[in-house]
Amino acid sequence: MANGASTAPGGPGLSFPPETFAKLSPGPFLHAHLKQQDPVRANGRSPEQFRKPTINTGSLTHSNGSAVVRVGDTAIVCGVRAEILLASDIPQPPKDDVETDDLVEDLGLLVPNLELSTGCSPAHLPGNAPGTLAQSLSYRILSLLNSSNLISPSDLSIQYAEPEAEEDQPTDEFKTVTKAYWTLYIDILCIALDGNAFDAAWAAVLAALQNTSLPMAWWDPDREAIFCSPLASEAHKLQLNGLPISSTFAVFSTASPLKRREDVESWILADPDGFEEDLCRETLTVVVATERSEQNPGGIIRLEKTGGAVIDRKLMQRCVRMAKNRCSDWDSALRGC
Amino acid sequence: MQADRRRINAPSGGTAPPIFATPKDTPLRRPTRTRKPDEHRKLFLRTGVVPSASGSAYYEIPLQSPQQPELLVPSSSSLKITCSVHGPRPLPRNAAFSPNLLLTTHVKFAPFATRNRRGYMRDAGERDLGMHLETALRGVIIGERWPKSGCEVVITVLEGEEDGWWGDAGGQEGGRAGGWGMMGVLAGCITVASAALVDAGIDCVDMVSGGVAALVQDGQDGTKVGGEAKIILDPSPSEHQNIRAGCVVGYLQSRDEVTEMWMKGDAGTQVEALVDEAVKAASLTRTVLAEAVREAMGLKMGKASEEATGGLKEDKGKKKDVVMTG
Repeated sequence: MANGASTAPGGPGLSFPPETFAKLSPGPFLHAHLKQQDPVRANGRSPEQFRKPTINTGSLTHSNGSAVVRVGDTAIVCGVRAEILLASDIPQPPKDDVETDDLVEDLGLLVPNLELSTGCSPAHLPGNAPGTLAQSLSYRILSLLNSSNLISPSDLSIQYAEPEAEEDQPTDEFKTVTKAYWTLYIDILCIALDGNAFDAAWAAVLAALQNTSLPMAWWDPDREAIFCSPLASEAHKLQLNGLPISSTFAVFSTASPLKRREDVESWILADPDGFEEDLCRETLTVVVATERSEQNPGGIIRLEKTGGAVIDRKLMQRCVRMAKNRCSDWDSALRGC
Repeated sequence: MQADRRRINAPSGGTAPPIFATPKDTPLRRPTRTRKPDEHRKLFLRTGVVPSASGSAYYEIPLQSPQQPELLVPSSSSLKITCSVHGPRPLPRNAAFSPNLLLTTHVKFAPFATRNRRGYMRDAGERDLGMHLETALRGVIIGERWPKSGCEVVITVLEGEEDGWWGDAGGQEGGRAGGWGMMGVLAGCITVASAALVDAGIDCVDMVSGGVAALVQDGQDGTKVGGEAKIILDPSPSEHQNIRAGCVVGYLQSRDEVTEMWMKGDAGTQVEALVDEAVKAASLTRTVLAEAVREAMGLKMGKASEEATGGLKEDKGKKKDVVMTG
């Protein structure tokens, strides 16, 4: 299967445009590309080359924060809405004044949802409940938000200095009580999907949270309700603890039960697109922190690998190094917006 | 509310949207219409935003009136709609034989599209919009060229127009019949679906464009009564206190035909004038539609002619035919 415009040696031959060949036998098509001296992928990138991202924030008027991320042909919109959860409504309230890092997770104050059934690709047409891919992506984003401790509970609590003594007697003693919490609804919509939804969705969440501003809120003891100030000067932006960046890799391998292990060839493809994702069973997602901390000197927040056994420790280290280099691309895009 | 088991749900206590206190020093300024009664807002339309779909388009009416930047609460919103068309594709095996193209429309508001957060389930208003859109498109597609096939038109409204100014008492309902924001959204949906259909290459007799007009009776100086009723096209509902009637049409300009008309409210004796104004609005949007489609076709033709002559991209090797031997 030559990939050049060579004429068939004698005998009748068939020639197709490359798009038809890609549809008829996608596996050998990609394999032919990667087999060359200088491996190149079907979309023209080298195996270790990522797509360049662009981020726009603040375009949605009804959200507290929003972002649109485009990575190649994948486009994802994320909107963050803040609503109020009264502490008196919580069925199992946490102990008073203990602000552990788990409070955000225990109370469920971050509610991310990724919606793929928006007609973003022919495989994701609306009318069905979220399938396994959408559900697993939503859950992965939620668990990454919680485990990276991106938002601290103090940013989300609305506190009130309650007087200690009886109601009629004036007193100087005040106890700070958390009367309510801000709940952030993080709605992620996929407008166009061309592979690697997780990286783009995670970046959209980060950019939208960076852009989020919460109004100043206070507890009114007479009316027993929370009121907010509509003035933008009194609103405060969320403080994010670090900016973890996610990179996904897919492994294209010619392994089959009929082949010997030594004859198997594999390539690691960074930032796979839709065509490559369908052909690769094994994927690896690496989430690295841009700033190191005492708890995490290595800077790796998460490693997820599924689907196969091709990636060993050496390849894993190579992928982590590629992920760290990728950080600078995302960092400049996120800080620039 | 039942917990949706396939999505991540809100905390079990239930949350409420924030209640804003009236600012003490900053006055709330109501937006007013500064355009002429027959002037349309500036539109932005682009096709080809979703490469994996057969056709797609993005439609936007940016914010017109100056916002009050010192307030967090926006006084009016823009309109942002994206549409993707998947088709014509074969119908599933068990479907009955259909001699015409089976059109399915699907309209969904994003959760962050309106002032109050919407859920993920489709509600009655969205289904209604989908039905109106299907009526508008069915009149323009040449269905008999595609037997045993289906076509899906999927619309996502990223930001929808409001029904009235939020500062009004009962501003969410706005006017007597209410629901004026949906009419503006429907007009936008018709235009964007038409652009996406052309991008997908589905045979149509003409391009259908959507236009909306309203009969308003605003009093002077912001009072509700006393003004004269006048017909305006392309209303922005937050700019008017009293909208008496509204009308949306899907209009084919070269054939002078209307495929869809939706009127709400009490127009009294001015029904025909209202419809005429909506048709005028549709003609104005059609010029933008034609321009956007022409630009997109020009790009496609340019790429196709480049491929036909061999192209200059020798290094990628993608443009060369693959020879299969043996």
